[in-house]
Amino acid sequence: MNIDLDCHPTTEMLNKYVQGSLPTGWNVVLSAHLELCQKCRQEYGDLESAEVHSWSEGPVEEVANDFSDLVASIIKQPQQATADTPPSQESPITEIHMLDHSFTLPRVLAKAANDGLEWKKLAGGINQAKVNIDTETQCEFIYMSPGSQTPMHRHQGNEITLVLDGSFSDASGTYEAADFLIRNNKDEHQPVSEEGCLCFAVLDSPLTFTQGLARLFNPINRFKFRKTIAHQS
Amino acid sequence: MLKFGSQRELFLVICDPTLKCLRYVGMNSATLRKEYPTLRPMSDTDQSAANAANARLLTPVDPDSDEYLLVETGNSQSSEAFNRLFQRYSSKIYAMGMKLTRNEQLSKDLVQEAMLNVWRKARLYDLDRGTAQSWIFTITRNRCFDMLRKLKRQPNCVTADDIWPQDNGSESALLPEGALHEEQGSLVAEASIIASYCKQLPEPQQAVIEQVYIFDRTHDEAAEILKIPLGTLKSRLRLGVAKLRQLIGVDL
Repeated sequence: MNIDLDCHPTTEMLNKYVQGSLPTGWNVVLSAHLELCQKCRQEYGDLESAEVHSWSEGPVEEVANDFSDLVASIIKQPQQATADTPPSQESPITEIHMLDHSFTLPRVLAKAANDGLEWKKLAGGINQAKVNIDTETQCEFIYMSPGSQTPMHRHQGNEITLVLDGSFSDASGTYEAADFLIRNNKDEHQPVSEEGCLCFAVLDSPLTFTQGLARLFNPINRFKFRKTIAHQS
Repeated sequence: MLKFGSQRELFLVICDPTLKCLRYVGMNSATLRKEYPTLRPMSDTDQSAANAANARLLTPVDPDSDEYLLVETGNSQSSEAFNRLFQRYSSKIYAMGMKLTRNEQLSKDLVQEAMLNVWRKARLYDLDRGTAQSWIFTITRNRCFDMLRKLKRQPNCVTADDIWPQDNGSESALLPEGALHEEQGSLVAEASIIASYCKQLPEPQQAVIEQVYIFDRTHDEAAEILKIPLGTLKSRLRLGVAKLRQLIGVDL
């Protein structure tokens, strides 16, 4: 855990997660962080109680609708006697393997990775596996091999990175498992990992490389991102 | 003589016949036995009395509470109880729908979708899952999320129930499993005996204790829900507490 920086979601973000008003990608990375972080789970619990309270006390909207038929048709339905076993509990993959390592994933990420991951090698010892869970954000696992270094880059929109295993560093500090990093277009950074590092990242727009040859790829990169998004939707 | 963190924690132990709260105050059965010397090992008669007490406690006392209506909906497929829940919640659900979708038709669909789920899952609800409000809130938020995802034709490999697991935030997920099994039998038995003391209280006192110590409501909220003056609530609570102390045979 990095002690100099606050590597947790903001209260505002947690609150929107409670309300269900975030895009799926953000929800998924928040859910995974909560599984790893007791402090945030506690805060989530408090925020949820407050939200339930204001919901049940808050202003209601009168529905201009006669629901009497609806009630009658609902009560004809059978009731469930036992809890569903969500498909996720049918043993989702909870472990993934990279090189000589195997990693245990939080439940929601195991579910997201359940269809199998296709790893792609990028420059500098970085591996990327996109997961198709959301049309509004780009979600991916990133594995930085030991000794790897990403080119200096800046984010155009927001990027959230959740460290799942190992650690990496940039000019601001070192980040370890459960750390939750929020980057925006003001941040330019060059992460390095000595021991190797598995992360889950959610982006709401593509990266801009600001260094070296990788800069040449910027237009293509943007094009590819739009294409991915278009393809998914 | 008792060394609980607070009176509230003691009453969680007394009122909630489930394990969670004993674990919550960090007690094991040996400590419990030491702290409550009057507790006997459980006999068969005790067992059936305790079971009755549990059943009683798992049915909320106040027949006008949402929890009571929800348990009724599940236990006896009561269409009247469900209808009353529908009256109370449809406009709240509609309001949440308008906030999240800004669309009237979708919000009406959400009322249907969420209330259908309340009906279908009502048998799975118990007081251990928290208030009826928070249970229905979770159903509504999750159904709304899945509805919107379907509408946006998003991939369905993760659903709302994966994102907001039911037991998120509860302590039980963090506790080692082995410890649970080892202690479970005797703890449940003794907690049940304590629970059986609770049902010996007059009903108005039970209702007050239920609101304050099980649903964790403030005195003001509880008074409003039970539609009694605050002073009455406080005196019932005081009487109930005193009576429990007497029954259990310990000085607090």
